[in-house]
Amino acid sequence: MGYPILPPKKAMHNNRNYIVSLCLLLLFSSCVSRKVFSTKYYYENEQTLTGIEQSFKTLYAQKPFSLGFSDLSFNYISIEIITDSIKYIYEFQINEPRFQDTLHKYNLPAEGITNLVNQMRSIHCLWINNLDFYTNNQKRSLVFMSIHPVAIHIPFAPEKYYILTFYSQPQYFDSEGRLLERRRLKKLRKINDEVFRRINDKVCYTISERFR
Amino acid sequence: MLSCCICLGYINASANSNPSSDTTALSTKEQALAFLDKQTDLTASNFWPNVHPVFFLQNLRKNIENPLSIYEGRSTNFCGYAALSYLPLHDDPLGYLRFMLEIYKNGKAVYGKEYFEPSREIKQAAGTLSFKGELDIRPADQLWFMLLADHFKGYLNFFDKHYNPGDENKTWAAVNFAKFNRMVRNLFNYKVESIGSDLVRPGLRDPVEYLSERLQTGNIALFVNNLDLYKKNHTQLKFAVPTHFVILLNITEIDDDTVAITYWDYGGKTLQRVSVSFLKKIIFGISHITPKKGHA
Repeated sequence: MGYPILPPKKAMHNNRNYIVSLCLLLLFSSCVSRKVFSTKYYYENEQTLTGIEQSFKTLYAQKPFSLGFSDLSFNYISIEIITDSIKYIYEFQINEPRFQDTLHKYNLPAEGITNLVNQMRSIHCLWINNLDFYTNNQKRSLVFMSIHPVAIHIPFAPEKYYILTFYSQPQYFDSEGRLLERRRLKKLRKINDEVFRRINDKVCYTISERFR
Repeated sequence: MLSCCICLGYINASANSNPSSDTTALSTKEQALAFLDKQTDLTASNFWPNVHPVFFLQNLRKNIENPLSIYEGRSTNFCGYAALSYLPLHDDPLGYLRFMLEIYKNGKAVYGKEYFEPSREIKQAAGTLSFKGELDIRPADQLWFMLLADHFKGYLNFFDKHYNPGDENKTWAAVNFAKFNRMVRNLFNYKVESIGSDLVRPGLRDPVEYLSERLQTGNIALFVNNLDLYKKNHTQLKFAVPTHFVILLNITEIDDDTVAITYWDYGGKTLQRVSVSFLKKIIFGISHITPKKGHA
């Protein structure tokens, strides 16, 4: 009729080729779309993202803390308040009065942190903190931000997070745009065991299964 | 030859921790610092080419002066080794120092019942780990963690027994609950009473009472589900398995359903408010660790 009749073995072979091609196509398109998504997302939200980074740096300088959301509906805040002797971890519902009380109790800039929470919520930023790293035995720090991008969720697959790192100084990259440890050393600088890629001289990204 | 090594090991062990009396060796921070002050002529070790003697001694001093600062590193599987380090750094810092200096100088040494002669790969790699946060600048801690991971093996290490670069983040360094307890018993000669396992929770009716009582008489190590402790509700598909060791320092009831737990991990103390049901959910193993005081 309308379909050529193939011997069963050949038909099976053709089906297998079709499935393999489809899988490869899907894999390729997902890799490309993730890379495009990552840089495009950053430039589309650059003002908000750099605003969050700057606010966090200013507030962190007053009193060290880390901030995030513990659920994907962005209704529960998790805050880590860092002192010289101990770290306090609290979790609150977003409008719970205890949140403000706790910020006041630990002399944290309550208004600034509340604004930061709202900024983070607006672009689905799940976590922000300050990370130490070492270059030539010298301590340096970066701002680590993870975002839950709805666009790259694949059903039944582990969650993927869009991670941004903000450095104070320009960084070194190889020809493929991968973050290097130092200019003359071709060793990749990994953070949380992930390779990061260039967005600009001071900002890098990766897609990770770990949000912090 | 092997039996000679083992015999030698036991002779040295008895000098170090005196197992004949079956008493846990104890010493003070002052004794350890006095011993460290005498190490003025430590030269570069042929066995550990990437561990500089000055940085090695600085790291040891930091560990003795501030035992809570020992840090397993970011994204490594060293949390079990870091957690058990809490014990000698608090109870027998002199024994820990003696062992560390012995292994640095001679490339082999005995700690408790264990004879260590680390592989060539470990000796080369210690001091070179990077991107691990403060562990990058703590070469003695790198040496110590890698040494323990290289020496002690459990079923989680079955498919990855030999070190290759990057294995510190993989199953080569993983610690299961039984291995953790074995390390504590064999290295430091403590009495360890444990409940729970790698897969099944201990099923305590009142974990707060259980933990509070035992904290009065010894140290407590908890084997917990780290994904729940830190990550919370981000994924639908979560495996309820323990992956992290912490040392419990205090537990206080806030109200009927809420407790404040203070624990050590990642180079510092943390205080966290959690519900009792959450506490039951995250704890898979409890080790109650007490010094032996009797005579065999």
